[in-house]
Amino acid sequence: MADMNKNDQVREKTPFFKKPGVSSVIASLVSILGGLIVGFIVLLLISVCNKDMSVSDSLKGIVTVLGGPFSAGNSGDILFQLGNMLFQATPLIMTGLSVAIAFKTGLFNIGAPGQYLMGAMGALIVSLSIPTTVVPVWIVWILALLAGTLLGVLWGAIPGFFKAKFNVNEVIVCIMTNWIAANVVSWVFNSTKEKFVNYAETKINFINKTSYNGVATPTLGLDKLFNNSYLDISIMIASAIAVILYIVMNKTTFGYELKACGFNKNASKYAGMNEKRNIILSMAIAGGLAACGAALWCLNGSQDFKWNTYLTLPADGFNGIPAALLASNNPIGVIFSAIFLKYIGVGGSNLSAQSSFNEYVSPLIVAVIIYFSGFSKLIKDLIAKSGKKKKPKNVGYGTEDPTPAADNAAEAKTAEGGSEV
Amino acid sequence: MNNEPNKNNNAAENGEPYVIEMRNITKMFPGIIANDNITLQLKRGEIHALLGENGAGKSTLMSVLFGLYQPEYGEIYKNGKKVTINDPNDANDLGIGMVHQHFKLVDVFTVLDNIILGVEPNTLGFLKKKDARRRVLELSESYGLNVDPDALVEDITVGMQQRTEILKMLYRDNEILIFDEPTAVLTPQEIGELMNIIRGLAREGKSILFISHKLNEIMEVADRCTVLRKGKYVGTVNIADTTKEELSNMMVGRNVKFSVDKTPSEPGETVLEVKNLTVKSKLHKKNAVNNVSLNVRRGEIVCIAGIDGNGQSEFVTALTGLEKAESGSAIILKGEDITKKSIRYKNTHGVSHIPEDRHKHGLILDYTLEQNLVLQRYFEPEFQNHKFIKFKNVREYSDRLIEKFDVRSGQGSLTPARAMSGGNQQKAIIARELDRKHDLLIAVQPTRGLDVGAIEFIHEQIVATRDAGAAVLLISLELDEVMSLSDRILVMYEGEITGELDPKETTIQELGLYMSGAKRQNEKGDDTNG
Repeated sequence: MADMNKNDQVREKTPFFKKPGVSSVIASLVSILGGLIVGFIVLLLISVCNKDMSVSDSLKGIVTVLGGPFSAGNSGDILFQLGNMLFQATPLIMTGLSVAIAFKTGLFNIGAPGQYLMGAMGALIVSLSIPTTVVPVWIVWILALLAGTLLGVLWGAIPGFFKAKFNVNEVIVCIMTNWIAANVVSWVFNSTKEKFVNYAETKINFINKTSYNGVATPTLGLDKLFNNSYLDISIMIASAIAVILYIVMNKTTFGYELKACGFNKNASKYAGMNEKRNIILSMAIAGGLAACGAALWCLNGSQDFKWNTYLTLPADGFNGIPAALLASNNPIGVIFSAIFLKYIGVGGSNLSAQSSFNEYVSPLIVAVIIYFSGFSKLIKDLIAKSGKKKKPKNVGYGTEDPTPAADNAAEAKTAEGGSEV
Repeated sequence: MNNEPNKNNNAAENGEPYVIEMRNITKMFPGIIANDNITLQLKRGEIHALLGENGAGKSTLMSVLFGLYQPEYGEIYKNGKKVTINDPNDANDLGIGMVHQHFKLVDVFTVLDNIILGVEPNTLGFLKKKDARRRVLELSESYGLNVDPDALVEDITVGMQQRTEILKMLYRDNEILIFDEPTAVLTPQEIGELMNIIRGLAREGKSILFISHKLNEIMEVADRCTVLRKGKYVGTVNIADTTKEELSNMMVGRNVKFSVDKTPSEPGETVLEVKNLTVKSKLHKKNAVNNVSLNVRRGEIVCIAGIDGNGQSEFVTALTGLEKAESGSAIILKGEDITKKSIRYKNTHGVSHIPEDRHKHGLILDYTLEQNLVLQRYFEPEFQNHKFIKFKNVREYSDRLIEKFDVRSGQGSLTPARAMSGGNQQKAIIARELDRKHDLLIAVQPTRGLDVGAIEFIHEQIVATRDAGAAVLLISLELDEVMSLSDRILVMYEGEITGELDPKETTIQELGLYMSGAKRQNEKGDDTNG
């Protein structure tokens, strides 16, 4: 009887929750849940330690965070916050895509912050330099977007080039290019202060808004729809780019090649693909995406850009990493993960606005969720393993794919000898 | 079929309990039962072979015995007493030692240092190497291992490295010695020595488990043999009472031909001409391939034989374009110099290549089978339209190849390559390379690590492509394969072709002498030097 069950269990079809797509979504949701639970524990501890607060405050607090913009109170504020959330999500979608595409091709693009800065610089300089009295505004807008994107393409191609030609780890070069970008941007704007810095409003640390030159992304009434928020059509552009990337990666020979190089550089070379070119290309695309996000942000026309940035890197650049992780590097998933991260962020700021929780608590909860998103791979593995009999010391495969090539796994393991046990 | 081997009998015929008995072992992985109710009984002082195809569960079973896996069901007994083995340290405490296929030696240490590594004799932390050295020498002498304890491991031959591994087990007083495919890396002469050593060990009362899929070796050295097939126990037989054919029948489940059916070759025009090919070594100052010239004609299988590491791999990587050849080298395909052409150019102009390492070069393991089958063809009009992949055509093509070459997998075209067995991965590569239009097939160890059934199939396919008019350049380390498959043998030793032999007129022993460098054809040597 026991034998019968055993065989049934092994031979039955893949259960619904073990399908790759479904398990990715479940993994993301479990990560989020884990983050929220830890966040709640933090709130609970604070409320217990603080004699002015009761335990119920922590419960209210987590509900506020979870509510995101919907915790804002009246419907006008909710709409306003929703609109801004979508607007803020735009650059995050783009940096998330940047990281996800690089991941898909086996590269870790931690250079998104630098590419983002270069993109912002390119877009700002072009949009503020070309007189809109001579050139139509929409042409300036397009040129600015292209200039920013192009700078990012170049900036991303640098680590790609070093990786491809000299096999230098892209992470190292990316981190260096980040700081180089931060200093280049500061230096460029420092030496062109008269032209771009916002003296008019005496904001000497900031560059003029692009609207100063009349350049702004069309809103198509979205800003009005969302109660005078900053929302414009850039969220649609970002979403469309995500869909296009999904198609390129999954339906075209180009995506087939890029992914092949990411999975196995040697086999790609064997198959006659130009694996070096593909590495550079994929980093260049990643750089362009992050920079395009920055350009869309700046071209909104309402946002200040802090030019003396040599000590700080933009958070949205780094947050592309959790956005990509949370979406399991699926371009369409990135749209939702980026929006979700901003959603929790808005909830966090509502928390500090509405309760006596310190304003630093909300970024902490967001950080915990981001941290947990790193576990999505682990959770996926757990899902794949679930339903199996638990064994106390199952050292067979921790990181190995649990595949039917069990003999191979066994060999690999044997080759490790006792060292891991 | 005897699926329940004397289950209730815990003792060998003479009343002595089995030194190791693995009873009803079941080990499952997601989607597969690697070991299904397997029983293995090892008597004291016997050489017990464990035979099975790839994926039959041999390695899994040994990993269970060595403590690397915990079985779902089943028990292990030592001398009649139940034991649990949670990790290799437990296995070592029980006297179980293992020589892995790939040795676990520190190259820059001496033989002695390697042997005592982990069990260093010491007083208050100070090494007492003298005692250890004496003991190693004693052991080496009494088992005829002939190992120099002061030589550096990187300087000694593979055979001596293996004997160092054996000494490691003896030094630890292991009684149960597991050999995992021990002959894969040895020359014929070294294999003979190893067989004598193993017999000697058994005579001294050591119990030996010998994992192999080479029937000749098992027939030669083993006392009994347990056969596994697809994770199931097939039976245990006395070697004295069985034949090679019966064993292969048990292993594969059908009769297998051992000789390759082929007509004498009728060479046509020259397809590949290599002139003065030289490749720099990444490991040492000498050239890995030194001034090699050869040619391969239509309708013949030319085999480059040699012991692993004599430049064959470098020769092929330079030939196919994976690595650069030194200047002065010329590769001429059908009269056209392709030395500097890209890999894609070679792929699309008649070169098919079955690579040496199917995981490193042959497949993208994270891609599905169908994605792997179009790896060099995805850009052809048949499979793409304005850069958009024609998924329907890819699927049809893949289904056709799977059918034609009998590639077996769980989900057909959609199976991830990673989830396929080694034999079927290799079949997929062969299907892909042979189905592409080709004038030259470069096959590097096409049957490495495969079982007799798969080897038979692959040999048939290679002969078929030869008969269809392709030139075949075979690189193999397996002497049986070299002798049975090739029409012409070139021996490569230290990066040079040291002999050209006719398989019909030479013997394995003679080939072995060329491969070990003991013999070389002088005129050839002069040729390459001039």
